[in-house]
Amino acid sequence: MKELAEVLKDWEAVIGLEVHTELTTLDTKMFCNCRLSHDDEPNTNVCPVCLGMPGALPVPNRKAIQSIVMAGLATNCEIQKHSMFYRKHYFYPDMAKNFQTTQGPVAFCMYGHLDLEVFGEGSSERPDGTGVEKAADGSYVAPIRILRIHMEEDAAKMVHVGGEEGRITAATESLVDYNRCGTPLIELVTEPDLRTPEEARLFMEKLRETYLTLGISDCSLESGSMRCDGNISLRRRGETAYGTKTEMKNINSFKSLHDALEYEIRRQAEVLEEGGIVYQETRHWEPSRRRTIVMRVKETADDYRLFPDPDLAPFDLTDAFIEECRSRIPELPDAKRDRYVTAYGIKRADAAQIAGDPKTARLFEQAVDGVGEKVAGTVANVIVNLLPGHEGVSSEQLRSIAVLLAGDAITFAQAREVLDLVDGTDDDPERVVDARGMRQVSDAGELAPIVAEVLARCPDQAQQYRDGNKKVVGFLVGQCMKASKGSGNPKLFNRLLTQRLEG
Amino acid sequence: MANLDTLSASQIAAGVAAGDFSATEVARASLDAIDRRDVSVQAFLEVSADLALAAAAATDAARAAGERLGPLAGVPVAFKDNMHLVGTHTTCASRMLENYDSTFTATCVARMLAAGATPMGKANMDEFAFGSSTESSAFHRTNNPWDTERVPGGSSGGSAAAVAAGEVTLSLGSDTGGSIRQPASLCGVVGMKPTYGAVSRYGVVAFGSSLDQVGPFGRSVGDVALAMNALVAGGNDPYDSTSQDCPVDFLEHLEEPVEGRRVGIVPALMEAEGLASEVRIAIGSAARTLEDQGACIVEVDLPNIAAAIAAYYVIAPCEAFSNLARFDGVRYGYQEKGCATLAEQTAKSRSHGFGLEAKRRQMLGAYLLSSGVYERYYYPAQQVRTLITQDYLHAYEQCDVILMPASPRTAFRFGEISDPTQMYASDMFTISNNIAGNGGISVPLGLGADSGLPVSAQLQGPAFKDRTLLQFARAIERGFSARGVVAPDLAGKGGELA
Repeated sequence: MKELAEVLKDWEAVIGLEVHTELTTLDTKMFCNCRLSHDDEPNTNVCPVCLGMPGALPVPNRKAIQSIVMAGLATNCEIQKHSMFYRKHYFYPDMAKNFQTTQGPVAFCMYGHLDLEVFGEGSSERPDGTGVEKAADGSYVAPIRILRIHMEEDAAKMVHVGGEEGRITAATESLVDYNRCGTPLIELVTEPDLRTPEEARLFMEKLRETYLTLGISDCSLESGSMRCDGNISLRRRGETAYGTKTEMKNINSFKSLHDALEYEIRRQAEVLEEGGIVYQETRHWEPSRRRTIVMRVKETADDYRLFPDPDLAPFDLTDAFIEECRSRIPELPDAKRDRYVTAYGIKRADAAQIAGDPKTARLFEQAVDGVGEKVAGTVANVIVNLLPGHEGVSSEQLRSIAVLLAGDAITFAQAREVLDLVDGTDDDPERVVDARGMRQVSDAGELAPIVAEVLARCPDQAQQYRDGNKKVVGFLVGQCMKASKGSGNPKLFNRLLTQRLEG
Repeated sequence: MANLDTLSASQIAAGVAAGDFSATEVARASLDAIDRRDVSVQAFLEVSADLALAAAAATDAARAAGERLGPLAGVPVAFKDNMHLVGTHTTCASRMLENYDSTFTATCVARMLAAGATPMGKANMDEFAFGSSTESSAFHRTNNPWDTERVPGGSSGGSAAAVAAGEVTLSLGSDTGGSIRQPASLCGVVGMKPTYGAVSRYGVVAFGSSLDQVGPFGRSVGDVALAMNALVAGGNDPYDSTSQDCPVDFLEHLEEPVEGRRVGIVPALMEAEGLASEVRIAIGSAARTLEDQGACIVEVDLPNIAAAIAAYYVIAPCEAFSNLARFDGVRYGYQEKGCATLAEQTAKSRSHGFGLEAKRRQMLGAYLLSSGVYERYYYPAQQVRTLITQDYLHAYEQCDVILMPASPRTAFRFGEISDPTQMYASDMFTISNNIAGNGGISVPLGLGADSGLPVSAQLQGPAFKDRTLLQFARAIERGFSARGVVAPDLAGKGGELA
């Protein structure tokens, strides 16, 4: 198969996503009062309603409607005041009633968009001159339209015993856990506006950041509370008609999403270039083998016999309800990012990364409370480059480390060490630095003799410098650091050396 | 010595409260009547003697403790077998649910019990309420207490027959297209379908969710009003999002005169094909009775009512198909053993668990909802629904209630109607009210001139004007002697209060 970059020169990939998100932060299910928890003993969070017992009736969860309206507002959707639930029929034991309650042609949220800022390496996936304007550094903005976000209920979990890899084929027994049955689920469907695997990955990431900020779900791709199906087709550059699409399933990480789409683009290109036909089919991503395989071929459209659910009255959302939802929306990642850039002067990419995760954003804002721009920048730097992997660092500790680092009291490498040491403790980084004698000497008087000694020891390098090889100063700084047993401030060494050599 | 045959529900409740007799004595009298009479009527699928005696004992204990008793204290009540009552099976008269234990108690049942009623058991019905004769019950037929060679009507045939036979004083049924009003008419008792949303559907096995409504049977309008009070007590049911608050005392204006009020008659309906002349004549005398009491009769038009049956037989099967999809034998109900695959088990469980009419309606619904067909039938049916609802709104600008037959004819013989579409015509006068969601009530007018069997009038009213309906029904009742009558062949057989 050809490489992605090569394929995308000739072919345009048309990608749409369907993203299912369980509203895990709610207390109860969509249409009954059962507790929302999938981890309990199987079939313990169940009742006549979610088990589909005869005579039971659904009652919609107001908070779930609130959550989806918030999701719609945060993704620039038009909130549909009038909508209703429909029944989607299919016989399978994971759906207790043998129909799923979902929405019809009109969803609570319609016609939204998210604007993706694509930068860094991933921006190169999109060839120049393909519909977006790229900045000098290659970055660009891709507006992605959202067709709809609708509300539905999740199905039960099926466990197939005795088959291969937990799949139904050759299973000897199938067990059903109805704890998940009736979990409030929102499904977002994008327009086919995505053009590269990186854009798809970024869209998912941005959507996840938005939902996390709204606090409507834990958005775990790994555990399946956020699930994504990717639809993809190829067409020759310049063509407007869509090709035949395939649907990608079993995507449980951002990397999987990217890699599955990349694989599928390359696979389809190969099929098409060899004169073959892409079949409309559902394909399963196998992360271990890094390929997609056919799950099932769709020959005819399934007939789900959709019709309005007569047990649930149509909704007429009031302006007051919608405004109440709007008032519950906290500052969203984009606004937060822009504010960080303006208020603290930190790098846009760093700001975006911090703003994207509500927990990190909170830590950042607490740590920079009352500090100057320089320290704030250092806090951001530490968060982005050093913090991952450290779960138990407080905002005070973070601020203290940033202050030390910004004041040249410790090196970047030492900052990492200090983070390791204080992680999960109440220890004050200042004391740790002092106790371990890590504080750098930043007194020129103390460091000058070391500089003199190193220059005396390394006359050749000193000469090289004077001959114009300025880079050699790095070697000399290293020698100084070694001589000071790591306690000297490398920046000060650098300055002293330069002064001596040029003076 | 009193006999249950001649006591109204309020008299029983008052007698129990006053200590004239105990709830236990009433329960035993009812069990005795069931014992002696149900052999020939077969109204019950399950008699819950233990539950009844326990409930009656609790009522008596409450009285002994000086507690205030409910308005239905000690009143023996039967429930249609599509209503859950913990401690009984809920079979819907289907093999599919033959051994199904109620997992919770339906709100309507719970409210009757909360008012002090004694649960005597579960009444026979057409399978899953599909029918107008109770002949589609998977277990046995129910005989009309007035003539055991004839059907009691349906689908709530058991509920109507149990009251007409004097086995119980009140019963509950459900009405999707006439399933309370038509059997009430054929059995000569009062049967009311309240406005959609007035009574909770929670715990009642659904047939057509947008059409189903629970209502009471009694031998008098007063008894039915008393039951209605119990059914709406406590306001809307948080477990049924289509239920509405109905803060009305149905007894309050019951005896108020109808003088100066307007009763609508739809001339086209009175000339409908298939309407027996004895029924037409009886409705005429009901109109005169109301006129005699000062009401004025006005002609109104329901121009789209002819399309009601067609619209109903699109909407109802669609909802039935969907509601009955859950019966697959996986979690409960009839399960075919020894199947190799899930698909086979589902198919065979459904093929063998459901009776003919249940399968017919589900197949019809599955077809009507399939893509390409849905657009041609379901949409127009919903449009017809809107038109009929508007017809009624216009009509009720000119009148307070509309008077018409409940059933085109008196009780027919078993097997007499074998063509399903002919059977569907039994509901020609009742269906439009379910389509519009309005209330309706059947009131006995005595016996038909030709058949000598019970004939009833039907009164229909605007949404949530069910109290007005009861008031007019009471006015008709005053003019006829049909009140409190137990079918003559059965009256006095058992049911004595010791």
